[in-house]
Amino acid sequence: MDCLIFLLKDNIGRTMKCFLLTCLFFMIPVLGSADELSNLLGELKTAAATTETLSSPFVQEKYLDIFDEKLLSQGQFVYRKPDQLRWELLSPVASGFILQGDKGERWNSLSHERESFSVKNDPVMGMIARQLLAWAQVDLDWLQQRYRMELVTSEPVILKLYPLDPGEAGFIHHLQVRFSPDNSHVTEVLMVEQGGDSTLIRFTAVKINATLPPNAFQVPNF
Amino acid sequence: MSLIVSSYQRFQQRRGWLILLLLLLLAFAGWNLSQLKVEESITAMLPDGTSQVAHDFKLLQQAPFARQIVINLTATGSDISSDQLLAATDVLQKKLPADLFLNVLNGPGKMANGALFQQLGDYLPVLLDADDLQHIDKKLTAEEIDRRLANDFAQLIQPQGMALKGQIRRDPLQLETLALKKLAYLNPIPDVRLKNGHFLSRNGKNSLILADTLIPMTDSVGARKLLTAFENARQGLPDGITADLISGHPYTLANADTIQADMKLVLLVSGLGILLLFLVFLRSLRALVVYLLPLFSMVAALVAAQLWFGTLSGITVGFGAVLLGITIDFGLHVYFALRYGRSQLGREQLLKTVSRPVLFGGLTTLAAFGVLLTSALPGQRQLAVFAIAGILAALALALFYLPHFIGTGKNPEVSSRLLLRRHIYDRNPALRIMVLSVWLIVVIFSAVQAQSLSINAELRQLSYLPAKLQQAEQHLGEVWGQMRSRALIFASAETLEGALQANDVVWQQLQKEHVPQGVVSLAPLLPSQQTQRQRITGWEDFWETRQATVRDLIRVSGEKYHFSANAFDPFWDRLNRTPTLITSARVKNWGLDRALDSLLLKTDHGYQILTLIPDDPRLVGALDTDFSSHPEISLVSQRRFSQQLSHEIGVDFSRFISYAGVAVVFLLLLLFRRLREVLLALLPVLTGLLVMFGGMGWLGLEMNLFNVVASILIIGLGVDYGIFMVCHGQQEEDLASSRAILISGLTTLVGFGALVLAKHPALHSIGLTVLLGISTAVPTAILVIPAFRPKRH
Repeated sequence: MDCLIFLLKDNIGRTMKCFLLTCLFFMIPVLGSADELSNLLGELKTAAATTETLSSPFVQEKYLDIFDEKLLSQGQFVYRKPDQLRWELLSPVASGFILQGDKGERWNSLSHERESFSVKNDPVMGMIARQLLAWAQVDLDWLQQRYRMELVTSEPVILKLYPLDPGEAGFIHHLQVRFSPDNSHVTEVLMVEQGGDSTLIRFTAVKINATLPPNAFQVPNF
Repeated sequence: MSLIVSSYQRFQQRRGWLILLLLLLLAFAGWNLSQLKVEESITAMLPDGTSQVAHDFKLLQQAPFARQIVINLTATGSDISSDQLLAATDVLQKKLPADLFLNVLNGPGKMANGALFQQLGDYLPVLLDADDLQHIDKKLTAEEIDRRLANDFAQLIQPQGMALKGQIRRDPLQLETLALKKLAYLNPIPDVRLKNGHFLSRNGKNSLILADTLIPMTDSVGARKLLTAFENARQGLPDGITADLISGHPYTLANADTIQADMKLVLLVSGLGILLLFLVFLRSLRALVVYLLPLFSMVAALVAAQLWFGTLSGITVGFGAVLLGITIDFGLHVYFALRYGRSQLGREQLLKTVSRPVLFGGLTTLAAFGVLLTSALPGQRQLAVFAIAGILAALALALFYLPHFIGTGKNPEVSSRLLLRRHIYDRNPALRIMVLSVWLIVVIFSAVQAQSLSINAELRQLSYLPAKLQQAEQHLGEVWGQMRSRALIFASAETLEGALQANDVVWQQLQKEHVPQGVVSLAPLLPSQQTQRQRITGWEDFWETRQATVRDLIRVSGEKYHFSANAFDPFWDRLNRTPTLITSARVKNWGLDRALDSLLLKTDHGYQILTLIPDDPRLVGALDTDFSSHPEISLVSQRRFSQQLSHEIGVDFSRFISYAGVAVVFLLLLLFRRLREVLLALLPVLTGLLVMFGGMGWLGLEMNLFNVVASILIIGLGVDYGIFMVCHGQQEEDLASSRAILISGLTTLVGFGALVLAKHPALHSIGLTVLLGISTAVPTAILVIPAFRPKRH
């Protein structure tokens, strides 16, 4: 018997479609890079190795054809080693998700929806969580498997990443990632889509290894 | 009778010719038997022709999974993650030999094919029915549209928004969800989810591998090869993960092995028993000739049945061999009469006298088997021809050959035990009363207990079902739902469109029943062209009156959430595009070819579309009524099939008993011409059958196909015993009948009654039937008949 129908009993809708369009980024050959890039990546990895927690407000600018204006959002990103995340938009719509291991919960104050998810059952969230964790941990091994990297500048370090997976490449033209001067964390991510839409996320006032509030990984009241 | 005597006299000095003729016949039989083809299939024991049961059985064979191999992997260790389980599934799958396991699947396959999700929304006009449109109508209020766009907006500004953008533009109101729900009706495994393209149970503790094989379910040699290969592959599984193979093959092998082990035990016990009988009662090498008689008659029966039918059913051959044990009876009577009988007119007179009951005994048995020719079961009709040929051969051998090779007993003057018993009855009337009382008590007790006997035609009950295999199958049902035991509905027509239209009717009736959970149907995704056209009209009418309003509502909410004016152009384009019809080719193109192939069947007469429903008696009953006016729709339920089969077997058995009864009574009237003698002659068979029914009822056993067939043995032997004892009472000559009956009964008991020791239900049933029936028919003949009517002097 075939296919997707089996999933539909549980998860009908966009989640599934999204899964098809974004997942299966595996088994991608690793491309080599110049010595400079290689050395730099080693430094980035070493610098990020000491990160236990990370928290930062962020500003997101979306330039999407579907909206008639630039869409500005503000939010908060929190990470605790090894696999706890909080991605929260505070405006214009309070929404986001938290992740603790395999389990997570997401919320949306506009539709007043709040629901649990498991990265095992929700491939889209699983993929997003994996991406965010990779950037928070500066997991270069994983990233190198998935992207061809180009060094744009070395001070500050700016990398341009081109997806290797055809599925992902169908969406994303490239990513541009900027690191902090001490190379300990990411300060800016620019995602340029194939159709020209783009999203810029700026992390401001990044705190590394700061003590996190006890409710850092709890769903807020809304 | 005089023909038999004159033949005896003619060949008395020419035995060599007889031996030569027998050898020639055996050589002919041997050549024929080398060409013998035996078919191993249960279908021989199912009604054929145009009966409902035969029709249903053919349809049941087409159920998905009925012929497929299912491998269920279970993570028994609590520390085994689903990832580890799936990795083990892949390893096991790779180790299964490709020549034995074909089309192996551990998941739905073609997951990356996005065409289905990309295109399904384009077919909303043909997929959505009136109920769906009503549902959409409720979602087209200002509040609902605003809530939907708010949700779209919230998703777009989240990280996952990038992947959802195109979808939101095409379908901001999530109408496609209704179309996607149609796909759920193609899922044949009720309790499944997918992970990394694998079938995974809801609790994450089980995975599944499906495969086809070319090895027939009934091929025990092939089954052993298949299971050995699986066992070798299973060895590689890590600790904490087990795998069970579920298909007909393990049952075939278990049955073959059990029968083999049973036969070793039974042959040992019956062999020792027959040896003991030989040493105690016969003690003559000439008696061995009598034991060869069933063997020769079986060879003759095989040749005749083969010439008649060509290919024989394995069940016919097996049963026939058992039933022909009856023919030893004829030989024993001739042997005892000629060797130990007493007549003042010599050996010829003894032969003449014994010929009469032997011939009539043979005729009554022939009549009993002749009735089987009217059976609805082809296997029983084969059995009838087989048995008739065997009995005729046995009669010929017993009356024309055997007398030449028996010789005379050393002490013909030794009085028979019957004589002694008769004297005891004469001397001690109380003993006679006691025998009759005991007999009466047994008869009454059996008659009461027989009331509780029922017929069980469940085919599985005829096979040996090892507990481990049953547990594995039960576990499969618990984990994955009842994927192997659902009722089937077939919608048939000469054309595909005709079949699809009939299938639409099926779906409409299911909707009236609120589409129970577990239904698998093609109709929601592939309706007939006629239905699709009707839906297009409904869709266009629906939007004609609503589109302008909905546009306004979307525009207003869209502005609120900063959507651009052309944000939802793809949605409006799709809505106003000329709808296209879904075809089977399109469904295949979406990667649903396996689902389609298992539900859409091409037959010699056209097309059949299959729908699976839960085998619930209420639902099946309701649908059956609904479909009664639709000859193009057939509903087959495994549960109902068993009930129908029970009914057919019951009818068959009743007919057999009544026809055989009439034929036997007619022959007995012809032989004895007095009702009293006829009733006496019937005593052993009636007592034997009654005790058999009563004993089974008392033990809480059910009558199955094997008991039905084996009861013929009781009828054949029981009537013979009655005939001999009544003849014995009438005749001047002493034919040593009671001794012959005792030896015949004991031989039958140790030969076939030993089957009661078998583990296999079929063999055990035969053993039990024979044990109960013969063990009472023999004492009834020897003790009760003389008690009613002593021998005349």
